[in-house]
Amino acid sequence: MSYFFQLVVSGIVVGSIYALAALGFVLIYKSSKVLNIAHGQIIAAGAFIAYALTGMVGIPIYISFLLSMVITFFLAMSVERIFLRRLIGEPIISVIMVTIGLMSIIDGLIFLTPFGSVNFSFPLFLPQTLISFGGVSISWTQLVGVIVTFLMIGGFSWFFKKSTVGISMRAVSDDQFASMSVGISVPRVFGLAWATAGLSAAAAGVIIGNITGLNFETLQAFGITVFPVVILGGLDSILGAVVAGVIMGIIQQFASGYLDGNWGLNGTAEVLPYIILLIILLFKPHGLFGIHEIERV
Amino acid sequence: MKNRKRMTVVFSLTLIVLFAFTVQAQAGETYKLGLSLAITGPTSDAGDPYSKGVEDYFQYVNDMKILGDDKIECTIRDDQYKTDVTKRNFEDFLDQGIVFYLNYSTGSTLALKKDFDEEKMPTIPASFHAGNLVDSSYIFLPIASYSAQAIGLAEYVANNHKGSGTPKVAMFLHPSAFGRGPLEDVQKAVAAGLKIEIVEVVEHGKDLDNTAMLQRLKSKGVQYVIGQTIQSPVATMLKDASRLGLVAKTFGEEGKITFTGCHYTGGNDLVSLAGPAAENYYWTTSYIVTSEPGVGTDAQLALAKKYGRDEKTANSHNYANGVMVAQVAAEAILRAKAKGVKITKESLYDELLAMNGMNAFYPVTTVGPVTYSKTDKAGVDTLQMYAVKDGVFHSVGAPFIPEYTGKIK
Amino acid sequence: MSTNRWLATGNYFTSYQDEQRLFFTHLDRTILSLFLFMLFVWPLLFSLSNKYMLVLDNILIAMVAIIGLNIVTGFAGLISIGHAAFMGIGAYTLASFSRTLGDSHVIITHAWPLMIVLSGLMGAVFGAIVGLPAMRLKHLYLAIATLSFQMIFSWTINFLEFFNQGQTIAISRVFWFTGKLGRKDHYLFWYYVLLVVVILSGFMVRNLLRTRYGRCLSAVRDNDRAADAMGMHPGLTKVYAFGLAGFFAGIAGALHAYVYRGVGFESFTLHHSITLLAMAIVGGLGTLNGSFWGPTAIIALELQVETLAEHAGQILPSDWNLATALKPFSFGLVIVLFLMFEPRGIANWWRIARSYTKLWPFRY
Repeated sequence: MSYFFQLVVSGIVVGSIYALAALGFVLIYKSSKVLNIAHGQIIAAGAFIAYALTGMVGIPIYISFLLSMVITFFLAMSVERIFLRRLIGEPIISVIMVTIGLMSIIDGLIFLTPFGSVNFSFPLFLPQTLISFGGVSISWTQLVGVIVTFLMIGGFSWFFKKSTVGISMRAVSDDQFASMSVGISVPRVFGLAWATAGLSAAAAGVIIGNITGLNFETLQAFGITVFPVVILGGLDSILGAVVAGVIMGIIQQFASGYLDGNWGLNGTAEVLPYIILLIILLFKPHGLFGIHEIERV
Repeated sequence: MKNRKRMTVVFSLTLIVLFAFTVQAQAGETYKLGLSLAITGPTSDAGDPYSKGVEDYFQYVNDMKILGDDKIECTIRDDQYKTDVTKRNFEDFLDQGIVFYLNYSTGSTLALKKDFDEEKMPTIPASFHAGNLVDSSYIFLPIASYSAQAIGLAEYVANNHKGSGTPKVAMFLHPSAFGRGPLEDVQKAVAAGLKIEIVEVVEHGKDLDNTAMLQRLKSKGVQYVIGQTIQSPVATMLKDASRLGLVAKTFGEEGKITFTGCHYTGGNDLVSLAGPAAENYYWTTSYIVTSEPGVGTDAQLALAKKYGRDEKTANSHNYANGVMVAQVAAEAILRAKAKGVKITKESLYDELLAMNGMNAFYPVTTVGPVTYSKTDKAGVDTLQMYAVKDGVFHSVGAPFIPEYTGKIK
Repeated sequence: MSTNRWLATGNYFTSYQDEQRLFFTHLDRTILSLFLFMLFVWPLLFSLSNKYMLVLDNILIAMVAIIGLNIVTGFAGLISIGHAAFMGIGAYTLASFSRTLGDSHVIITHAWPLMIVLSGLMGAVFGAIVGLPAMRLKHLYLAIATLSFQMIFSWTINFLEFFNQGQTIAISRVFWFTGKLGRKDHYLFWYYVLLVVVILSGFMVRNLLRTRYGRCLSAVRDNDRAADAMGMHPGLTKVYAFGLAGFFAGIAGALHAYVYRGVGFESFTLHHSITLLAMAIVGGLGTLNGSFWGPTAIIALELQVETLAEHAGQILPSDWNLATALKPFSFGLVIVLFLMFEPRGIANWWRIARSYTKLWPFRY
């Protein structure tokens, strides 16, 4: 039985980290309806910036964690300013394509640095002991990951619900023309959406980097790994991302915990989320928490 | 410092321009070689130092005039791990008239196998997949295949198991042909009498948490894990295992799990990913590591220093890998030249096949001699166990040759 | 109907039949015929190295695939991130014959046109199945359904022993009337086959757009509710579109398998799907000639960047990583810049160039 609970707890932990990685997609999609394919690269960049500040400059990890979030915030904002601003009003698919191009550009930039082809790991700063209760255990890194995830998600939920900027962002996502007419600067909102996505990407990067070590391929692959999470949650729902993340995390843990090794199956954790995704899409086309678009002719 | 580097570049550029005219007059022959590998894209952490090893050694051969006035010109091209691009590069190299080809990934080696045979092109890939050799006579593995490595690890487990009964082993595999390749051979070895029991075969994904998997292995009584994958998943697993207190302090410690793995699971890359969690990880390869003093270490570090490589590259076992492959190619050319034969792909192929017995080649960066023959296309058959102590790999025991690789044939 | 059938400077259509003609002027037809004639003749005049023949073959294969992708993404407006998987279906149809009958069985080496069509049909079947969610799904959600298919395809191929767990399954060289193809003829032979396939597909799609179904596609793309009200069935139209796209992809996949003489899962990954999408968009979505521009441009660009990186690599010391980083960087940069300044793709330049020459010397 404790094996079962361990799977559940691991699933929740992994799922919250997925949610954090998925948050970036949601933030950008929510306001500008763009799916940023280069998100994995931004996650990796965030982790590398934090490492460069700690390992090479020597700033304490906590501060460099925050600094990397700030840097990525502005980085993502300038990406939007330079590459995507011109494309406002163009077909969505062109914009998505630009993010595919961005993927290659960021790849190139990262290969300029040692991070492209050399592995690193963050210095240990959390206790290496386990937090155990009733035969179930998680690590400090994971616990911190979960806490950061929920802090961020809580923060963003508040931001979108209560703050003026957040409300204007929601307004833009609802109707760009109407929000322009009430004096909201749509380009600024887009920039901000990218910036906040960068912020969350850096956080996700540092946490994942702490778990897997800093390997460019591994880190950037998380951009694609969390795709099903984003869709399952509904592309524009923050709460959805969390719920879907946890569901996916638990499904993956159960898949590798119960399916793998039996009936000649193996590696099912990689494919099961997509199968479930396909099934869910057939019954709930807008994900679990996505907004149902009412269409009129 | 930057300025000086730039100055050197400008200076060497002028030199090149000057020499371009003078060299032509006295130059000997130029032998063209080709290398297509992933310097960017997937597995670039192995491909990048590998390419630098190859580049540096050929540069060294040319600078030291090891081949007299003759020069080696090796075109290195990035294929970003795409098989289609590798094929294109190979066709291009053929058009350029290469005499020796160096390949990289398992996928592209298998895909181009027929082309190598048709073109009679001696090829050394960086993939030690045993399947590369099936139905092929022109592919030469630099060192023992993954299968041989996994069997070597299994034998080491069987021989050094302290407790009673057959040791229970789990295999930790990459979810691809590259990872699954050795499984069948280890199972054959077990059938042939190797005293281990394979309790579970795990194919990892992009896991962020292995706690449940490790607990399951533990409850099944697994004492050893044999890994055949890349570093990053191993690092994640080791981190979880060390937190759970599962990692054996000594080889085969009762009630704990001893983690072992083949060539691409280990090396300094693993230590830099897993940090202190890599402690007591057992790893096998045929290359020397620079943390063990010796002739090979000195040679490798000196070469890296000569061409201004950074510390990580200089100490990478994939750098050693690249150097060694280049050494074999250069040695084949040297031997053919000594015999006075024209350097062609055919003569180099014959030289490689003759590399055995008295003619075995001893590159300094491996733990044993390179031997090739019609029946033995794996270069260095000798393996060395290494274990991480205080963050560096140290050799454990003497180099050995796995017995069961012969028995299962 | 303009009086001059060779040079029409404006729109003189008096009937719908006029508007639907394949060629508006005789000049158009003549130029195209001459161009196609040149495409067939040039290899007789001078020979290209194997590398460039392979590149040409590769471009043509991509064109066949992009024609399919353009039907589903361009004309019907359904983003597909799984196109490489459909190619994979075609290739693996061929591969499963090779697996069960041996790689040089007569059916593979002699009946190759049949095999190619069969692979196309398999692609169409899978395309239609994957398209089924399109009955309910829209926009990005549908894109993700195709992504799921891509992932499930990769996993299945990688897992099943029947498909050699994704390792290369060999396909033998084919026979022509002159006997078995040699190494040198191989690429040239497939160049001609591919050329014929591309031309046929091109005309097929051009004609398709003139039919009721072709107009259904763009109607559904532009507004599916309105299309529904006009008596079309948007769901079925989308499924058809996916089926057709799968058909072309399947053909492209089989051709890829023959040209590369083997099928390995690494040629049909998500990365390739994204590259195909890039080709379609750079070429110009929703245009037929965009399907030809896109692959040409992207593959030519890749080669150019490679040469550039190589030259840079000779000058710069390799531990600067500059030459290696240049390849992905400049590739991405060109795509991004292109889309920033010409989101409608190269087809738009073609359109502008055409209308300019048509009206010359007048501005409009």
